[in-house]
Amino acid sequence: MNNENLKFVIVGHVDHGKSTLIGRLLYDTGSLPEGKIEEIKQICESLGREIEFGYVMDHLEEERDQGITIDTAQTFFNTEKRNYVIIDAPGHVEFVKNMISGASQAEAAVLIVDVEEGVREQTKRHAYILGMLGLSQVIVVVNKMDLINYDQKRFESVKKDILKFLLDISIKPSYVIPISAKKGDFIANKISKMNWYDGPTLLEALDIFKTKESANYKPLRFVVQDIYNFDKRIIVGRVESGVIKKGDKIKILPSGEETRVKSIEEYLKNVTEAEAGKSIGITTEDKLFIDRGNVVIHNGDMPAVTDRIMANVFWMDRTPFKIGERLMFRCSTQEVSCEVEKINRVINSSTLELIAEDATEIKNREVANIVIRTDKPVVVENFNKIEELGRFVLGREDTCAGGIITEPEQ
Amino acid sequence: MIVVLAIDALEYTLVEEFNCKNLKQRFYGKTNIKEFSEPKTMVLWSSFMTGKNMEKEIVARGDKEMWNTELDMEDTFFRSFKNPKIIDLPGFSYIKEQHEQERRMLKYYFDAQSEEEKKNIRTEYNNLAFLHHRRIKQEFSTALQGDYDFVLGYFSVADVIGHLNFGNGSMMKLIYRDLDEIAGTINHTLIVLSDHGMERVGIFGDHSNYGFWSTDLKDLGNPKITDFADMIKEIPEVN
Amino acid sequence: MDHLDKLENQSIYIIREAYKQFKDIAILWSIGKDSTTLMWLVRKAFYGKVPFPALHIDTSYKFNEIYEFRDEWAKKWGIKLVVGKNDQSLSSGMGPDQQDKLSCCGQLKTDALKQTIDKYRYKALLLGIRRDEHGIRAKERVFSPRNKQFQWDYKDQPPELWDQFKNKQQGEQHIRVHPLLHWTELDIWMYIHRENIPIVSLYFARDGKRYRSIGCEPCCAPVDSNADTVDKMVEELKTTKVSERSGRAQDKERAYMMQKLRALGYM
Ligand SMILES: Nc1nc2c(ncn2[C@@H]2O[C@H](COP(=O)(O)OP(=O)(O)OP(=O)(O)O)[C@@H](O)[C@H]2O)c(=O)[nH]1
Ligand SMILES: [Zn+2]
Repeated sequence: MNNENLKFVIVGHVDHGKSTLIGRLLYDTGSLPEGKIEEIKQICESLGREIEFGYVMDHLEEERDQGITIDTAQTFFNTEKRNYVIIDAPGHVEFVKNMISGASQAEAAVLIVDVEEGVREQTKRHAYILGMLGLSQVIVVVNKMDLINYDQKRFESVKKDILKFLLDISIKPSYVIPISAKKGDFIANKISKMNWYDGPTLLEALDIFKTKESANYKPLRFVVQDIYNFDKRIIVGRVESGVIKKGDKIKILPSGEETRVKSIEEYLKNVTEAEAGKSIGITTEDKLFIDRGNVVIHNGDMPAVTDRIMANVFWMDRTPFKIGERLMFRCSTQEVSCEVEKINRVINSSTLELIAEDATEIKNREVANIVIRTDKPVVVENFNKIEELGRFVLGREDTCAGGIITEPEQ
Repeated sequence: MIVVLAIDALEYTLVEEFNCKNLKQRFYGKTNIKEFSEPKTMVLWSSFMTGKNMEKEIVARGDKEMWNTELDMEDTFFRSFKNPKIIDLPGFSYIKEQHEQERRMLKYYFDAQSEEEKKNIRTEYNNLAFLHHRRIKQEFSTALQGDYDFVLGYFSVADVIGHLNFGNGSMMKLIYRDLDEIAGTINHTLIVLSDHGMERVGIFGDHSNYGFWSTDLKDLGNPKITDFADMIKEIPEVN
Repeated sequence: MDHLDKLENQSIYIIREAYKQFKDIAILWSIGKDSTTLMWLVRKAFYGKVPFPALHIDTSYKFNEIYEFRDEWAKKWGIKLVVGKNDQSLSSGMGPDQQDKLSCCGQLKTDALKQTIDKYRYKALLLGIRRDEHGIRAKERVFSPRNKQFQWDYKDQPPELWDQFKNKQQGEQHIRVHPLLHWTELDIWMYIHRENIPIVSLYFARDGKRYRSIGCEPCCAPVDSNADTVDKMVEELKTTKVSERSGRAQDKERAYMMQKLRALGYM
């Protein structure tokens, strides 16, 4: 096993079996603390009941409340291939903000659908959010196969529905796997009752996924956080993509001024380069006016410097947005005031029905395609090219919406 | 037959959280026990069956002696039934040895010095409570088949287990599911009532300042525990 | 970058964001391993400087080692130390054997912190809490607002995505910033090991016992352990599952519970 971690979320409609699946994954991979299952079994027996895997999660939650080091916001297990982190994404509608906060950190997703119920409201909303967050590694599991006697026909018909719906939102799942979280079928183990299915188990399918590839190979984007003048002037920030090296010829956006990297600054370290993900500082050959929100790049591959952006946003505040209202646009460390020039389309995130075109309002949990006009030019990117500069939030006092840029207009 | 499911420390918020449909019935809510200075089990159940505030009288007996209270049938609303069956109710047909042992072990737990010891006592304590619960469940289900015009089953498990384990959500969830299932087996006029609820103190549970009620008959609003005596007497006998 | 590098860089990013957003900021330094690790990261973020005060809430019941460590390293690292004390309670004799431990902690820690925040008008506080410490903390955000009473409405928090943290603070509110939120107890020890961070000796085993968390002397019980080096500590952590806070927190809850059960006539 190598040392990589794959972070994923499990999402789906309430009661479709998320907790049971997590409990099962932990159990089948031997990741539960010693004696845990026995303890739950024992309570069940004391009451004369059958054990349910869903209780494992409740139980872990409690353990942690007692101070024992188990983090259910981030639950871990591992296969022979690598470590996995399950990011908790609560299913209830009220928790959609938490679901988004969780899913925004994930590299892959498992969408769970109850075979008897099929695609439901939150199935759609969650799938939509996955799409919006740009998660392309998606597995669909069709759960509770035991309830329908592992019937292939019913599975195929539910699968067809799901695929059709996912196609509408441009998600192409890597696998659609029939499972029973309760019985443990096709989680880690295959069973003969479903010999009509010749695909991988859930764990096998997860193992095929890739961890987020290092952004080192993308063009340089060093986003300025602050300027320090403790002993010398240091421009601090984070390398969002690419690698920055001492001596590099660089360009500062949006001004377009050019200079060279004089040094890379890390406390008590002698370094000459910094890779993606590093929070470091640089000094430059020439003393330029540089400020928070500026983006340092190499010559060549340019991001957009623009004040007009087309984007998809997910509104998550109780107070609706009305056209004319000014909002803060925050992308990486850039923060400018903006207005929404046009609301092209508003979509109900659970039914995916078109609510309005050329609208004037976006309400809680609605998704909209909008055109933003910022007060000052910002440095942005198509989300599919460089995520870190292709996603943003809109806010009043607090964040009200998350968005991804579909087209930075020049 | 009229049935009262008397559940000690059934907590309104957990009934909601775990969505126990059978415990909720058509109408449900909190009882108002603000007239009592402390939510004491014995005080509350005594007040319930007599229809009057018994706080002074019970408290006067002292903390030890109060548990031995045994009210006379004539002083309670049970006398308006021809053939009532009252199972394990504090202040009436309380199975003293059992509950005394539970309280003793509760004290042992808090007096114990080492974690190891505490752990063992907790396990033993829980087993004792679960065992009793199964016994009462059995007795209750037999009574439901019997020739009674009134059956009251008192279930202490939520309170007894709750005091040492209320912070253990999965344990409480299982207990509430079990109680909910018990309520689901009753095909008679049913009133679910608790003396008080419970609130969390870390892993432990303390009494909360309201109880729980439910019925299919009518919306009782925010009743007092002493309102139930008259109310139950007036339920017309069906079947 | 390896696992610890990632954690370190993310924490530095958060610390720098907090410093940029809030002028009146301080770091809460309990001298424990987490807040000392946080201090280490602050020094990294600001190239050896600590550009804001370090708040130490002194109950006056702390271990001697804590005071010594604090004064030694505050001096070496050039830290501006602000000591907060609830003088009023202390002079009226409050202490762990005076009343129940819950009120003692409430007055000597929580109230002292409230008073200090009020006095210096801090708008933001850096804290070394971790998600894996306690159940409710799983719901914590990196930037988490608290009202004047220190209340935290965890059910209705603004979403926190893509490192866009809450950056406005209103009226009486202050923001708690948690740069170590994603770390685990094991991560902390591995990092202490790697970076050679100085740590109060209380954490290391002496005569078969060590403290897993430190606070006030009368309220801390040591656990059995032979880990007298960071190395052994990491090893021990990988193999044990004993609760870190269980000693402290449960004692308090037990004391409270006993009092309540007595009042209800149970014992
Ligand atoms: N027969 C059968 N039942 C299942 C299966 N998976 C889950 N269930 C049952 O479905 C119900 C809901 O499962 P949970 O795992 O609690 O559902 P959830 O999606 O986590 O729901 P929330 O926790 O409310 O979000 C429980 O009663 C499970 O026992 C399965 O594979 N087969
Ligand atoms: Zn009671």
